[in-house]
Amino acid sequence: MDKPLALPIQKIITESERVKTYVFDYDFPGEPGQFVMCWIPGFDEKPFGIIKKEGKGFRISVAAVGDSTKAMHMMEEGDLLGFRGPYGSVFVLPEKGKQIAMVAGGYGMVPLSYLAQEARKKEYKVHLFIGARNKQELLFKEWMEEIGVLVHASTDDGSEGYKGFNTDLFKSNAEKESYDKVYTVGPEIMELKIAQICWEKNIPFEVSLERYMKCGFGICGQCSVDPTGWRMCVEGPVIDGEKLKKIEEFGKYHRTASGKVEKYPWVK
Amino acid sequence: MANLSVSLAGISLQNPTILASGIMGVSASSLKFVEEHGAGAVTMKSIGPTDRTGHKNPTVYSWGEGITNAVGLSNPGAEEGAAHLEEMKKILHIPVIASCFADTVDNIAKVAEKLLEKEPLALELNLSCPNTEDDFGCMFAMDPRVTERAVTLVKKTSGKTKIFVKLSPDASNIVTVAKAAEAAGADGITAINTLSGLIIDIHTKRPILKNTFGGLSGPAIRPVGVRAVYNLYEAVKIPIIGTGGINTGEDAIEYIMAGATAVGIGSGVYYRGIDVFGKVTEEMENFMDQNGYKSLEEMRGIAHKC
Ligand SMILES: Cc1cc2nc3c(=O)[nH]c(=O)nc-3n(C[C@H](O)[C@H](O)[C@H](O)COP(=O)(O)OP(=O)(O)OC[C@H]3O[C@@H](n4cnc5c(N)ncnc54)[C@H](O)[C@@H]3O)c2cc1C
Ligand SMILES: Cc1cc2nc3c(=O)[nH]c(=O)nc-3n(C[C@H](O)[C@H](O)[C@H](O)COP(=O)(O)O)c2cc1C
Ligand code: FES
Repeated sequence: MDKPLALPIQKIITESERVKTYVFDYDFPGEPGQFVMCWIPGFDEKPFGIIKKEGKGFRISVAAVGDSTKAMHMMEEGDLLGFRGPYGSVFVLPEKGKQIAMVAGGYGMVPLSYLAQEARKKEYKVHLFIGARNKQELLFKEWMEEIGVLVHASTDDGSEGYKGFNTDLFKSNAEKESYDKVYTVGPEIMELKIAQICWEKNIPFEVSLERYMKCGFGICGQCSVDPTGWRMCVEGPVIDGEKLKKIEEFGKYHRTASGKVEKYPWVK
Repeated sequence: MANLSVSLAGISLQNPTILASGIMGVSASSLKFVEEHGAGAVTMKSIGPTDRTGHKNPTVYSWGEGITNAVGLSNPGAEEGAAHLEEMKKILHIPVIASCFADTVDNIAKVAEKLLEKEPLALELNLSCPNTEDDFGCMFAMDPRVTERAVTLVKKTSGKTKIFVKLSPDASNIVTVAKAAEAAGADGITAINTLSGLIIDIHTKRPILKNTFGGLSGPAIRPVGVRAVYNLYEAVKIPIIGTGGINTGEDAIEYIMAGATAVGIGSGVYYRGIDVFGKVTEEMENFMDQNGYKSLEEMRGIAHKC
């Protein structure tokens, strides 16, 4: 459905200081990697990854960063949010692969947790490299451990696991383990580092490449990337490592809501 | 095999499908992607005087029979817009139609001048966007005199570039406005832009679009577009790009029979995917072959003869 469907929030779970999970009793379709456009009545409409756990219903997890996500964090159970979708491409598990790795930063854990759950159901061995500022921000760590995911945590302050970046932890790990496929979602600088490691080592991988979204269904052109013109709401957000080579703007720049090109701070 | 090529105000198109402004037109590579899917020409998203982020979301959604949008003319401004146009011209093989809007007649002439420096084959003056703030709220295309002034000013610097004027079905008399544009030297008319509308979500008791009102497009507006083209064909001599609700080859042929020279496709990208251009072209060809038409010329305006 492409018109917002208003659904009452059934349950709100506080995951950490910055993240809340919203549970809905509605069997919304969607596969790992896909997203919904979520209407926050009176504020805005934003893309969020979806998670479906056992049984009916679906959930989204939202980090409070700006005005509209902060407004969402003020909402209560029973309040209405509007949903349309699901949109975008999906993660593909390797055919006969036995061992996969996931590298997640921040709310990148949202789509990856859903993928990890599906992979575990199919008995893949899953290594998860999850990075956060501190121990409290390690999203879904317990859930992942419960379903048998091998969690390699890293924190900026060393309050849990490796002190430093999960990209470094992944790199050293990839020297001794062999992965049939790698999945990464998080800040673009993190995704870029993982992509470089995977390209170098010839490991198949997929990234979720986020771009500013307006329509979410492929007509406004806001989320098109250079030079292929692929729309990250239709041909993306999940992009295969080989295809990613063609997206020259990856890791370099993106477009703001006006369509202006904005370079990333790490690019000289 | 039917011949689908057309000459639009002297510009040759391999097929009559033109990507409408505001759809996929944010960047050169986005338009290249449309070219790869079979469009005969593309229109860039309308450029205004300065950088605008547009309205907040929700800005676009579909209500089934149509699409409602209030993107709010987001664009990077004339300077960067002109740079985008240059890049578009460089990497596309099909004609690129530039597009511009502004709050005042003087400003639209200024934006037009900036884009005209890049010598596009054609420039479309968007005088008819229904979903901007108060300062843009009074559409130029409501008033024949304002339209005439805008066209006259732009024509002063347009050189070889053809000037198309995009009109609104919300004008009380679209024909009068079109005639004024023609009298001022416009080379073509694009009809129609979206119609102003409002959709309320009854559960949250609110308009869905952040901007409250939005422009309607898609199949629901096709009869309005066909009607406009039919009336315009009898009133002006300059070519018309029939736009509004075209999803299939049959829809396009309906517009050609009403008098359109070429057809604009926007929402069709949503309804049938990015390859809508190739699909429409193929369906037109099939219809023409089955019904013994060899060229678009033979069908153009044919509905007026009955
Ligand atoms: C495919 C996709 C999936 C996402 N999944 C999640 C998720 O599961 N959980 C989560 O917390 N966040 C997710 N996000 C990010 C989320 O949409 C934005 O971070 C959020 O909208 C911030 O909005 P704000 O109004 O609070 O802050 P703002 O201050 O408005 O925005 C902060 C930053 O968020 C980004 N952003 C804002 N609006 C949009 C938009 N319409 N489209 C894309 N990026 C935007 C921009 O980079 C902006 O600078 C996802 C984004 C995309 C594109
Ligand atoms: C999301 C969206 C954005 C649009 N933006 C513009 C624009 O910037 N300039 C313009 O002249 N028309 C704009 N339009 C109007 C279209 O060009 C077209 O006239 C209208 O949508 C009717 O055609 P359709 O039914 O094929 O979509 C926009 C339409 C949509 C749906
Ligand atoms: S968000 Fe509109 S095309 Fe992707």
